[in-house]
Amino acid sequence: MPMYQPGLVHTPVTPFTRPRGIDFDRYAKLIEFHLAAGADALALPMHAGESVSLADGERRALVEFAIKQVNGRKPVIAHVSETGTAIAMALARHAEERGATAIIATTPYYWTPPAAMVLEHFVRIGAAVNIPFFLYNAPEEMQGAKVNAELCLKLIAKLPNFAGVIDLSLDWQFMIELMTDAPRLRPGFQLLAGTELMVSAAAIGATGMLAPLAGVAPRLVRELYDLCRDQKLFEARKRQEQIAALRQALKPGGVASLKAAMRAMGRDCGEPRPPVLALDAVAYQKLVGELESIAALRAEAREW
Amino acid sequence: MQSPVTPFKEDYSLDLPTFERLLDFHVRTGATAISWPHHKGESLNLTIAERKLFAEAAVRVVNGRIPVTVHVSALAVEDTMELARHAQEIGADGILAITPYFCTPSIEAIHAYFVRLCRSIDLPVLSYNSPSYLAGVEITGDLISRLIEQLPNFAGVKEASFNSEKFLEISRAALAMRPDFAMLTGVEYLLPSVPLGGVGSYSAAGSICPNLCSRLFDACMSGDWPLARELQYKISWLWLLFRDQYPSSLKGGMVMMGRPVGPTRAPLPTATPERQAYIRSELERLGILESEPHGW
Repeated sequence: MPMYQPGLVHTPVTPFTRPRGIDFDRYAKLIEFHLAAGADALALPMHAGESVSLADGERRALVEFAIKQVNGRKPVIAHVSETGTAIAMALARHAEERGATAIIATTPYYWTPPAAMVLEHFVRIGAAVNIPFFLYNAPEEMQGAKVNAELCLKLIAKLPNFAGVIDLSLDWQFMIELMTDAPRLRPGFQLLAGTELMVSAAAIGATGMLAPLAGVAPRLVRELYDLCRDQKLFEARKRQEQIAALRQALKPGGVASLKAAMRAMGRDCGEPRPPVLALDAVAYQKLVGELESIAALRAEAREW
Repeated sequence: MQSPVTPFKEDYSLDLPTFERLLDFHVRTGATAISWPHHKGESLNLTIAERKLFAEAAVRVVNGRIPVTVHVSALAVEDTMELARHAQEIGADGILAITPYFCTPSIEAIHAYFVRLCRSIDLPVLSYNSPSYLAGVEITGDLISRLIEQLPNFAGVKEASFNSEKFLEISRAALAMRPDFAMLTGVEYLLPSVPLGGVGSYSAAGSICPNLCSRLFDACMSGDWPLARELQYKISWLWLLFRDQYPSSLKGGMVMMGRPVGPTRAPLPTATPERQAYIRSELERLGILESEPHGW
């Protein structure tokens, strides 16, 4: 299978209408914004897109809508993580049928199966499709089963379309151990930074990045990515520090802070869905103040 | 920078002549500094008197050729304070201290600890962050900022989380306030840290492969990333080999390199002949046996 290089992947939030429903008009606008703002591909709905808060039919509808809206201008990667293996497989097949370029899946939610079953989970999801499969390693987000380099190497042996790991562990030991062997066992194997902390990952060999902050600071994200891609790693440090400051400002509130920041930047995508609570007025004002203090944001557009 | 292991005789007593040879070996094979006794040097298996004795030997043998820092972390903070005073008395160039063991101190307690330590001596103080070995106890960017602001001799951190975000949160806070603050890491993890402002690391495998250590350091500092990747992958593979019951396997590997340093003190095991033979086969496979110095 020819390997696919995702490059800089934007991960849009999901706008909702009140009381409940996806705001597809706003979503179309958001997708156009991401395409115009430098995305090499879109991945959706990621955790930043509240994937776990979407009802089953909604999740499929969202992927279908996005693929239609993008209309082949850039690849769309579908996030199909689920608790039950068969449920994730069905989402994977649906995404492939509708034209997704690749799929992403992480460990099962809630369960803590033994390592052999975690491997089996990934093998079955990947084998359900013929498009590239990326494993999303996010130990801080996922409380249950853990991924290690050994599991990834076994997965290469069992799954021809296993194309790479999206790393949110930020763990140098894991990334180095993985990249010492994986590209030799599978030429073209990709390491992608799972968030905008890419400099160390790029030093280790990462070629791609998922960018949940791209809706807030697409220019900064693009500059960081380009420097990392070109291996200008000393030059990338300044942008890396700026984007780390932005990440820290948004980290406490998670998706609620991300959506609040989108609004502050003039790109209102509404509030998060329950059980996530929106920021209250005080927290919102505090966040706006923190964003004001990040000089790098002044170069970013404050509108659609 | 090299942190020597602690050689023991067969009866587990300190082996001073071998320690002196080892120090000299590190200086001759390119170490940019010596620091002793790290956990690799079985610091917590040594009495305070033994730590003082060998710290004196380190300063004497190195004799100003490169800087010598003393790792003063002890179970009791009062012992740490005593070791810090002693390091200053014997003419060491600095000290290194981890966040306190066992009691999972709060950020305020860690702050008070470093303030007391830094104010007790005039030497530069390097802090040591190792959250994965200390139940999540860690130094944050905010804490680093406060300490730098208050303490002129708070000179650096050995950041051993091996995590991009944790390193960055400390480095961006510290380097903005004090550009020459020493951002260091552990176990030769230079490739991911140098582009973020890292200026060095303590080595795990330096007594096995000093040439590889020096080449990796040079490749990272000069920004030769393809070469640095190749060397980092190789040296990190050695870490996987040595980290199990560290430093037992490392001492076993030193036997294979013609530099025996005796057993490892209990409760850590000593590498068995079978383990040593396995290590030898791996060192051979990686080309270490022929590309690195044999003997003293």
